[in-house]
Amino acid sequence: MTSTHPLIQVRNLDLHFGAFHALKNVSVDFHAGELIGLVGDNGAGKTTLIRVLCGIYAPSSGEVFFDGKKVEKFHPKLAIDQGIETIQQSVGLCDNLSIARNFYLGREPVKRILGIPFLDFARMREKSTRVIRQFGLRDNVSADDEVERLSGGERQSVKIGRAVEFKNRVVIMDEPTNHLSVREREHVNELAVQLKEQGLLVIYITHDIFQVHRLADRIVIMENGEKVADASTSSMTAEELEEVIRQGGRVVEKQEAV
Amino acid sequence: MKQLVRGQGFGAIIGVAVMLAVFTLIDFSGWWTIQTISNVTQFTAILAFVAMGQALVIMTKEIDLSVGSVYGLAGVAFITVEPALGVPASFLVALGIAALVGLVQAIAVVKGELPSMIVTLGGLFTARGIIYVWTGGSVHNFSPDARSHPLTRLLGGELFGIEAAILWLVAIAVILSLVLWATPFGNRLLATGGSRESAESRGVRTDRVKIAAFVLCSLLAGFAGILTLCNQPQTHVTLGENMELEAIAAAVIGGCLLTGGRGSILGAILGALIVVSFRYELIALGAPSSWYITFVGVVLITAVIFNQKLARFLGHSV
Amino acid sequence: MALSAAKPLIRRHTELGIFLIGAVLIVLFATTSDGKWANLFNLATILQVTATLGLMSLGVALVIGTGEIDISVGSTFGMGALTYLWLAAQVDPSLAAVAAIAVGAAIGLFNGLLVTKTGTPSLIITLGTLMIFRGIAIALTEGFSFSIPYAGRNGWTYFLLGGGDFLRFNTALYWLIAVTIILMAVLKAMPFGNRLLAVGGSAESAHSRGVRVDRIKLTTFILCGMLAAFAGTLEAGKLGFADGSMGRLMELQAIASCVLGGCLLAGGRISLPGALMGAFVLSSIQSYLVVTGVRPQWFILILGLIVVAAAYGDRSLRQWALRK
Repeated sequence: MTSTHPLIQVRNLDLHFGAFHALKNVSVDFHAGELIGLVGDNGAGKTTLIRVLCGIYAPSSGEVFFDGKKVEKFHPKLAIDQGIETIQQSVGLCDNLSIARNFYLGREPVKRILGIPFLDFARMREKSTRVIRQFGLRDNVSADDEVERLSGGERQSVKIGRAVEFKNRVVIMDEPTNHLSVREREHVNELAVQLKEQGLLVIYITHDIFQVHRLADRIVIMENGEKVADASTSSMTAEELEEVIRQGGRVVEKQEAV
Repeated sequence: MKQLVRGQGFGAIIGVAVMLAVFTLIDFSGWWTIQTISNVTQFTAILAFVAMGQALVIMTKEIDLSVGSVYGLAGVAFITVEPALGVPASFLVALGIAALVGLVQAIAVVKGELPSMIVTLGGLFTARGIIYVWTGGSVHNFSPDARSHPLTRLLGGELFGIEAAILWLVAIAVILSLVLWATPFGNRLLATGGSRESAESRGVRTDRVKIAAFVLCSLLAGFAGILTLCNQPQTHVTLGENMELEAIAAAVIGGCLLTGGRGSILGAILGALIVVSFRYELIALGAPSSWYITFVGVVLITAVIFNQKLARFLGHSV
Repeated sequence: MALSAAKPLIRRHTELGIFLIGAVLIVLFATTSDGKWANLFNLATILQVTATLGLMSLGVALVIGTGEIDISVGSTFGMGALTYLWLAAQVDPSLAAVAAIAVGAAIGLFNGLLVTKTGTPSLIITLGTLMIFRGIAIALTEGFSFSIPYAGRNGWTYFLLGGGDFLRFNTALYWLIAVTIILMAVLKAMPFGNRLLAVGGSAESAHSRGVRVDRIKLTTFILCGMLAAFAGTLEAGKLGFADGSMGRLMELQAIASCVLGGCLLAGGRISLPGALMGAFVLSSIQSYLVVTGVRPQWFILILGLIVVAAAYGDRSLRQWALRK
């Protein structure tokens, strides 16, 4: 059930990296209790857009509103405080830290001794162990192991478990099924729907339009930094959406087989 | 035990053991004398402060080339301002100057987005230049009143025959280790050095973490300078020259990897011990003083390669 | 509007910044020093210092171009000077110079092998060699004297190698010009130069395109060592003697020159003329302070501020040129 009043509003967002125009006049609304599929070809600007939403980039011009209030400063800490959890593709885990330390990075639980905050290792270990077991990490992986030693799939599971554990109002997932087995992928998709049903806003970035069409309420298509389509999944089929993407993608000349 | 082996300082522990064994074998009577040992412990304590501060900065994946000049500047400030302000106030002033240098450099690196090597190189020159200009090339000594002031004695005297510097070192080393490994700030510092982008994406204010590291580093170097002067209250404008090289060497020998996020406070202290031991053993052997710097260079290169191989052996991608 | 049009030019040649600063400084110094700075004799001195610092800076710039750094050049400079002086009294100075350059090459080889074979950061490795060879230089000069007696300071080759002036300028300057031209040709017009910058830009990408990254880095370290030793030779040729502290702190000035000249410390983009201009600016400032009677203590303080200001200026200029 979606509420009528948007949780996140993006208005005329522009972002330049030097001379590169990464986001061009993007306007879109997101509502709580919605699962939005954000799709588009490589380089379309999907990751860039959500990086603005989670505070990593500040817009060059345009506005972002959260819960009706205009966002003045952009920093990941502020976004997290607002309740936005993000699963990023290439960043999010520090190799030199253990799973437990990574899990709680930025929001470490403390025990105060003489007023000084010391890390509550017991709590960190216990909670993060429980979550990683839930997400399928084997018994020989301990929460004290350095993240460096984990496989791609295990790292992804840690990121997802973390986001689910600390979920608040928004969960953004950038290609969350990367490196995952088939069963794990199903698990993630079920989770995404569950989160939506709990009333959160879920933004799901993927290349796989067919997969996300089954899960999402709405699909937003981006291409070359612009928003080119914004349709509910009931009004457009996956094939129609895929056609839109294909039309807009870079033209590759078909070569005659030699 | 496993924690000890897997900690970055393991190489330094081996290094100290090997070094002591070698010294004992080749120069038992020269090395194990009161004179040598007391010199070594005193100067290790001093260098260790600077090395620990450098270790913190290296762990955030930056470097501070100005520590020698800050050490000198704080010491010179302390002794120059004392006649006018008295010992306690000049202590605070000297520390304040050190912290200010650290802060200015940190802001240039973090906000100005400049490489720390260049900024702290500039700091090295500027602070040394300030020493020269301020003192006009000559520095005076502590008055007898100042020398017997309780604060001076607290910083530079002895307790049960142990030099104050060593006691201060132990206290501060314990505090720093706790902060680094058992507090949220320490977790975020390690994260900043390990992967700044990831730490930032989890809400860590890496800017503030780096600024804190630089300020701490300069404070420790300044504190060491003041301690030196409380112990030996005469100085000259070249105080601390080349110390940055020794401090970096000590931190690196102690296991701090320039790739960031990995290091050890204990390792930095042991690294300082190795560097200072070489100096005094060479003196005890009667070798020309020029051999010292050559030896430190050799030990540095050996140690850094060893630590890197050790880290790779333990499975870290460095 | 004209300024905007210049952006693409500045984007590719940020060293224009230092040249502009240099021009401003020349005018400033000439007009405010009552003729003491802007005369031929003083300029000749500045240019001689620029020549030795410049040769060193060229070598450092090449290493920086590959994304590494060499802070041992001051010690190599000293070793080159000592080698030259020790031999020049016994054999023809040209042979002595060759030997000095060979020593420099050997030190560069040592540096390069350690960096490429062990994968250890060059900052630390060259810090170690800085210390090793500084110690060796001091040890050597404690035992032996390194000077050429006045009687021996003649001869055609001695003159050529910094021992005298040609057209009122020390011969070192002509060597600088020659070396610069050769290096620029190599950098811009030959495959080696292209690959060098590729390695600095992204060693991984270069490697995947078949570039022998290790060999390129090794070559730049060797060249850097050779240039530093040669600079030491020329300096020794001019002075006729040397002590163990020759070259101390020069590595820092060389790096400062490169940064002033628009070389990116991260690698991939360097400017040889820029580095030379940086060396010239540093030498000019030092000379200006001397002729106007400012106490020498100020130089090091000003040097520190300049280094940071220059890095900041270069960066700002680059960012401005990148904006639309």
